Amino acid sequence: MGDTAAILLEVFLETISFWYIIVPTIFLGLVVGGIPGFSAANTIIILMPLTLAMSLQGGLIFMVALYCSARMGAGIPAILVNIPGTAGAAATPLDGYPMAKQGKGQQALSISFVASSLGGLLTTIIALAAMPILARVGFYMHSTEMIVVMLFGISLIASIAAQDMVKGLIAGFLGLMIGSIGTDVVYATPRGTFGFLELYDGVPLIPALVGLFAVSEAFIIIEKKVIVTHDGDVKAPSWNATLEGVQIALKRWWHIVWTSLIGLVIGVIPGAGASIASFVAYQQSRSFSKTPELYGTGHPEGLIAPESANNGVTSGTLVPLLVLGIPGGATAAIMLVVMQYHGVSFGPSLFDTQPKVGYGMFMAMAVSYILMIFTILPLSRYMSHVTTIPTIYLAPMIISFTLVGAFVPREYMFDLYLALAFGVLGYIARRTGYHVAAILIGVILGPLLEKYFLWSLKKSDGDIMVLFSSTLGNILWLCLLLSLVLPAIFAFQRKRKSLGVVAE
Amino acid sequence: MTLKPDSPKRQLGGESVIPALAIAFTLYFFSTIWNSPWTAQVSTFLIGGILLLVCAIFFVQAGLVLRSGQGNLGFGNLITREDISSGRVGLFATTVGYCILIDHLGFTLTTFLFLSSSMFILSRGRNAAFISLISAAMALAGWAVFIWAFDTRFPRGWFENMMKAVLSNG
Repeated sequence: MGDTAAILLEVFLETISFWYIIVPTIFLGLVVGGIPGFSAANTIIILMPLTLAMSLQGGLIFMVALYCSARMGAGIPAILVNIPGTAGAAATPLDGYPMAKQGKGQQALSISFVASSLGGLLTTIIALAAMPILARVGFYMHSTEMIVVMLFGISLIASIAAQDMVKGLIAGFLGLMIGSIGTDVVYATPRGTFGFLELYDGVPLIPALVGLFAVSEAFIIIEKKVIVTHDGDVKAPSWNATLEGVQIALKRWWHIVWTSLIGLVIGVIPGAGASIASFVAYQQSRSFSKTPELYGTGHPEGLIAPESANNGVTSGTLVPLLVLGIPGGATAAIMLVVMQYHGVSFGPSLFDTQPKVGYGMFMAMAVSYILMIFTILPLSRYMSHVTTIPTIYLAPMIISFTLVGAFVPREYMFDLYLALAFGVLGYIARRTGYHVAAILIGVILGPLLEKYFLWSLKKSDGDIMVLFSSTLGNILWLCLLLSLVLPAIFAFQRKRKSLGVVAE
Repeated sequence: MTLKPDSPKRQLGGESVIPALAIAFTLYFFSTIWNSPWTAQVSTFLIGGILLLVCAIFFVQAGLVLRSGQGNLGFGNLITREDISSGRVGLFATTVGYCILIDHLGFTLTTFLFLSSSMFILSRGRNAAFISLISAAMALAGWAVFIWAFDTRFPRGWFENMMKAVLSNG
């Protein structure tokens, strides 16, 4: 125990001494995270020669800092201009953007930065402490259990649909249908591809994200002079707004804790990712809130939940990578390649043979989050100026830089046109009262749900009861049921209570 | 469902576009999996079936709203004359042009042309000099960051090739 503490302290001090790598990387991460199509994984691939040329410790610190800051950066355009930088930030604009429109962009950014940093820091410490237990979570999560995890996320459609049930369900199920485009996972039969070979792998997420959010938003915002709702009431940014945001986030510390833990657990499961974590966290946060009706109108808790959760995922992803050698996502897979190049062997023995590498990655994450609070938080004052840029300049910039971002991941010109098509769909949806977030949830989670569903059915020879065949799965089913039923019961009780007060 | 007396009538023509597209897409999707193995059919028949049901409910509701006189078959919530005067139609045209031209002219030049023409349309011809300056600055900044510094795979045209030649020789 004493030895471990000494190693941790030594690694912490060594990591801090790499501040000259971490700080510039944080800013790089903010930029690449904020532009759709430029994920941390893409950037690490682009800068792979640089990473390999660095020392092992420097390379790892660079990759980890980029990973964490890109995750946080994706939330910035989501809040300011309703454009999530990655699918992991797709739930952020649900409450972040309404805050920006109300002239609280700076406050929303501070809330997001504090929730992301504290959520990330806390889950890193927990992951470090509970690594042996967390590493086993992946073993217990089979396709049947994963179906329930997906349904936790998809149930957010029902919450969105609560505002207009029929339109919400149409948007959600249309998204699920669009998500089904491509070949089926068992026999690779092409379905609904309109004859385009480019759709055989399914609908690519970045063009869908760019079209539904960025392009359609650009066509909507030109109706106003600036993004904030009251054109003549644009408040000058001040440090007070940043501090207010910090206070709001700190007051809800418990919310940060439990939603980031959702992210940690989902991050540990290989194949699950930040998008699932943020949708699940948002849905659970709304379900157990005393004020669910405020969600979607610019409620701080609706912003805290997805931001804490998607940063909780970052530390979770490292657990199976380091303990089992199984990368939990694309960025972790690239880290694995770099570490293997430097001769690092994975598995439980890593912490005996090269403890500085094992603990060093978590420490790099912790130090990155600590430095992020001090470097990014003051920037919220300046970033919030985006909401005051005249839309005649902002809208074309959004379109050009996000459309070309849709091209980058696969380098198909087809993806540019696909983003435009999704833009038209998103524009029609927004103008006629359909929720684009519900469509996107379907597009993201639909294919995953189908994959796990088919795997379960194949394993059981088509027996649907396989969905209820495992103890953990049944516990999760019960939790899902409770998370859907309990909020309705609580709401009914609150209504009865308030009626009672009025009657008295 | 009931509207206040002073609220505008629901434009059901516009509201029906998404359900109509959803039905057309679902039926097309079913046609592509009709003779496929059950693994390709099971979840999509389930999802598509529910989507068709919800769309049917929407059209029944829309019919009731129409009958009660609280809505009409207009498209006023989707297309108005203001879309032309505000420059939205112009912006859409330049966006389509951007997608077509970028493959031929490359990122930098197309971005400059797109930004300047769209900003010019949206500002109704005002501040031409400022717009040209800001468009050129944005396009060059994009080239410098994404193509020159990071060597990302943005579409390349004669400007990018020329700059590559200049920088490699200079």
